[in-house]
Amino acid sequence: MELKADGISRIFFRNGKNTNFFHAVKKTDFNLESGKITVIIGKSGSGKTTFINMLAGLLCPTEGKVLLDGQDLYEMDDAKRSRLRNVSFGIIPQGHTGLSSLTVLENVLSPVCMYESGKSKKEKALDLLKFLGIEELQEVYSDELSGGEQRRMSIARALIGNPQIIIADEPTGDLDDESTIKVLDLLKKYAINGAAVLIVTHDDIAVKYADYLYKMDNGNLAVSS
Amino acid sequence: MKFAFGTSLKNIKRKPFRSFMMVLLVVILSFVLFMGAYIVMGLRNGLSSYRLRLGADIIVTPTSANGHGNVDDILLQGISGNYYISSKDIEKIKNTSGIAEVTTQFFLTSAKASCCSSRVQIIGFDPKTDFSVIPWMREEYSGELGIGEVIVGSNINVPEDGIITFYGQKYNIVGQLAETGTGLDSAVYTNMDTIRRMADDASHLLEIDPFKGVNINTAASAVLLRVEDGYEINDVADDINIHITKVKATSSKNMVSRISENLGNVSYVILLLVIGIWILSLVILITVFTMISNERRKEFAIYRIMGASKKILVEIMGCEAFVLCSIGSISGLVIAFFVSMVSTEALKEALALPALAPGAFAILMLMAGTFIVAVGAGLITSLLSAGRITKGETGLLLKGDS
Repeated sequence: MELKADGISRIFFRNGKNTNFFHAVKKTDFNLESGKITVIIGKSGSGKTTFINMLAGLLCPTEGKVLLDGQDLYEMDDAKRSRLRNVSFGIIPQGHTGLSSLTVLENVLSPVCMYESGKSKKEKALDLLKFLGIEELQEVYSDELSGGEQRRMSIARALIGNPQIIIADEPTGDLDDESTIKVLDLLKKYAINGAAVLIVTHDDIAVKYADYLYKMDNGNLAVSS
Repeated sequence: MKFAFGTSLKNIKRKPFRSFMMVLLVVILSFVLFMGAYIVMGLRNGLSSYRLRLGADIIVTPTSANGHGNVDDILLQGISGNYYISSKDIEKIKNTSGIAEVTTQFFLTSAKASCCSSRVQIIGFDPKTDFSVIPWMREEYSGELGIGEVIVGSNINVPEDGIITFYGQKYNIVGQLAETGTGLDSAVYTNMDTIRRMADDASHLLEIDPFKGVNINTAASAVLLRVEDGYEINDVADDINIHITKVKATSSKNMVSRISENLGNVSYVILLLVIGIWILSLVILITVFTMISNERRKEFAIYRIMGASKKILVEIMGCEAFVLCSIGSISGLVIAFFVSMVSTEALKEALALPALAPGAFAILMLMAGTFIVAVGAGLITSLLSAGRITKGETGLLLKGDS
């Protein structure tokens, strides 16, 4: 699968010194390649999350197109775009994103139960939880987890559907080095199996896994050396 | 839909306080709506039953009845009294112009003593001329009342042996009348021969003569009149009031319209109360849903990230609202049903108005209507909140750095 950004930018309205808007992401072209890990680094507030949200079909660009295999994501109706996101995307958002009414296992299985029964995926969910070291927490409610455990749960949830495009926003943020390596190894495995992996991070370890490295600075995305 | 329903049940289970508050609000909404409508329906039924049971255009009672339980009191609340019109006055009434039909009734109050089963109003009617009791009696009993036989109102407890005792004598209960929601339900009915025998027994048994020299064989407590076509009921009543002393003629139309006016006022107050409580509850419901949905913005954003469409989010909110509102509405209706069952009599006494509980079908319809309105209100407010959330861009809901 090929995910391509064609001249996308995003403006937010916010009262500043001279203007009432600012460019969170300036006009950008971008290709996310299958089988590779692409890493974006950059300071907080540089526009990284806005950029990946546009790529994931979660935030409409002010201008430009996001094309998945040539199809404009934002031309699709909500039902089609949502279904596509469910099947093809695995998104690991920033922060603690557990659904508090569900157990860890139910959280992980949610994406695959949304449109189908998802029963056959239970074994895979348990394998993922085991690999990420939180198998024994499967029946615990997500709001009872620590930050690191929540993070690992949301990684398992993003990967349960074997997505072709994985977009991870600070996936190792709450993790120790050992867990960080485990998670990055897992993402690497998915890339080897053909997935296009995009990681936004501040983590130096993650940078080492990058096939392509970009830097976001003040809304400008550029290849980093 | 299966996912939405399952998720909504988990949300309800996992957030017991939030769920309880929602259920409680809908319990209040359903209870108030059902009770308000039930009371108004009961009062309206009572009025139409009262209108039907009066039968006469004019009711003439002695002026001595005032203050001792007048016709209104007897008919509406079952307050009893012994008062009589002499045969001379009855003749004068009969001779008033414009009268088509005349019948007399004899009232006797049983004593609350060993001689009588209970203290009730006994009403004697003349089967030859009656147009008030017999049509009512025919609904439940097709035979004729013989000597020593009585038929009782719906509020009278019928003993297993079907025998009731008045002034030392036993009488056969041959039937029980349909409920009217008025004081007539607490009376016992018999023919003139039987009641005069009872009166004779009373005058021998009681230390104080209740008849004060009145000839019980010819006197009557009330004279019921039907007016000839072409005559105004009020004119005939005025004629009687002007020309015959010691009696008071009341047109049943006036009695009904007086009650109808009171009923209108009571219904208006109930309607205002119901509307007030509903507005308040709806405002609370909307506020609660808005607060809940604001609190759940992040949760909905996570579902969107996982690939949930706006429709799925609306389904989750809708299922939650439907389940909670259904539980609330059914609970409210069950409570309201039991309260209405035990409070009809107390209400009738408190309002001093005729009230007749609606029938089973009407109650079922009322319950179904209340359920639909309460669940509908909950669904609409929840879906409005869901619509507001799903309008926003998911990327903004979970925006960290931008």
